[in-house]
Amino acid sequence: MTSIGTGYDLTAAQFSPDGRVFQIEYAAKAVENSGTVVAIRGKDGVVFGVEKLVTSKLHESSSNQRIFTVDKHIGVAVAGMIADSRQLITHAREEASNYLFTYDQPIPLKQLVDRVSSLLHHYTLHHHLRPFGCSVIFGSHEPEGPKLFMAEPSGVSWGYHACAIGKAKQAAKTELEKMKTEDMTCDELVKEVAKIIYTVHDEVKDKSFELELSWVGEVTNGQHKLVPDEIKEEAEKYAKESLRESDSEDED
Amino acid sequence: MSRGSSAGFDRHIQIFSPEGRLYQVEYAFKAINQGGTTSIGVRGVDTAVVITQKKVPDKLLDPASVTHIFKITEGTGCVMTGMVADSRAKVKRARLEAARFQQDYNYEIPVDMLSKRMADLAQVKTQKAWVRPLGCGMILIAYDGEKGPQVYKNDPAGYYCGYKATSLGVKQIEANNYLEKKIRKKPSWNHTETIEVAITALQHVLAVDFKSSEIEIGVVSKDNPKFRVLTEEEVDERLTAVAERD
Repeated sequence: MTSIGTGYDLTAAQFSPDGRVFQIEYAAKAVENSGTVVAIRGKDGVVFGVEKLVTSKLHESSSNQRIFTVDKHIGVAVAGMIADSRQLITHAREEASNYLFTYDQPIPLKQLVDRVSSLLHHYTLHHHLRPFGCSVIFGSHEPEGPKLFMAEPSGVSWGYHACAIGKAKQAAKTELEKMKTEDMTCDELVKEVAKIIYTVHDEVKDKSFELELSWVGEVTNGQHKLVPDEIKEEAEKYAKESLRESDSEDED
Repeated sequence: MSRGSSAGFDRHIQIFSPEGRLYQVEYAFKAINQGGTTSIGVRGVDTAVVITQKKVPDKLLDPASVTHIFKITEGTGCVMTGMVADSRAKVKRARLEAARFQQDYNYEIPVDMLSKRMADLAQVKTQKAWVRPLGCGMILIAYDGEKGPQVYKNDPAGYYCGYKATSLGVKQIEANNYLEKKIRKKPSWNHTETIEVAITALQHVLAVDFKSSEIEIGVVSKDNPKFRVLTEEEVDERLTAVAERD
């Protein structure tokens, strides 16, 4: 069984002899090269954290947005080809707007994820299109409770208690599996998300990074917002202290 | 394997090989096994059942969101095997076709007509070079008012057929062999027996004893013609009955 799809990997409209569509698998690799994104669904909301790698000191901080809001109540964090993800966000916003217009209520998260997944899947069928090179994590706080979903370039989407995508997703997942996320509140989760991002960040390969944190839950009255600066600073302080305790390397 | 004098593209796009095969369609069948699961559909005297494995590969996944059994209409349901995203697209289309039929003719689409329609749609994808077939198989069940319980299977080639029992996925050959042996005795399975046959078949070919969280079962029956997925307690009851019999 070949794992390089030579000859069978030219378009998404092509199966390999062992029944794989290599273009979809390559699109997933594009996600693996991006900065880590972590999202956790707790007792009373969902928290997102993104490791935004800073490639140049000339960049203005907080100018490369990785977390977006769809309608008012849904947060979306993206990893992979950011330009592709912007298309998805635009589509998601249109779907949410249509739903609101047709049914006079905000779109439930499962519906939105379903629609975005369909779009992702559509781009894996045709010869003249390439799959989107990004994974998207959706979260919102609904009357039945907080919800968290992730959609991949293949169009597959599942619900999660916690998920991580990007460079250090394996390390982040290991940390996440240790936690009892269902019982934690958003205030606790904000600190934990920051800690995980700081822990899995690779100091050697990627110099500096900026942490983008957002949440949606009872604490924000069901609206998706960036975490306020004071709380973010506290979370980063907690993260840096935890790192210092666990090993003796300096943080810069 | 001789390639005859093809231009070399017969494996890459939807054109015939010199031997008259469509390689891309054959590869689509292989894609059904990529998910690593097996699904089975069984028809009894008054009940039709679909069963599949519920694999939750990631501890962080919410198991409640993982399902491969879908309701198409009130009385029709299916189990999907193969590429997940393709499966969902196919289910969406099936629901649309069923809804259109309902709107046009004011009664629920018979499962054989739905199966035929999905097969026709699948065939279209085997004839165009710029679109790929969906790498998933669908086993539909319904309780037909005139014909009783029905099991229909659709595959990526656009073939469809009604079955007494059938299977899809990694262990489909073993499962089909097992089911053939059972059918040979011309049994008449009642509601619980039909479910238990499906469970036993799956356990046999995978050589495991299931917990109720590891399988999903969908049923339709004469007493309850609405398609529904069994709860964990109901699955447990059947599993216990199967275990006690052995």
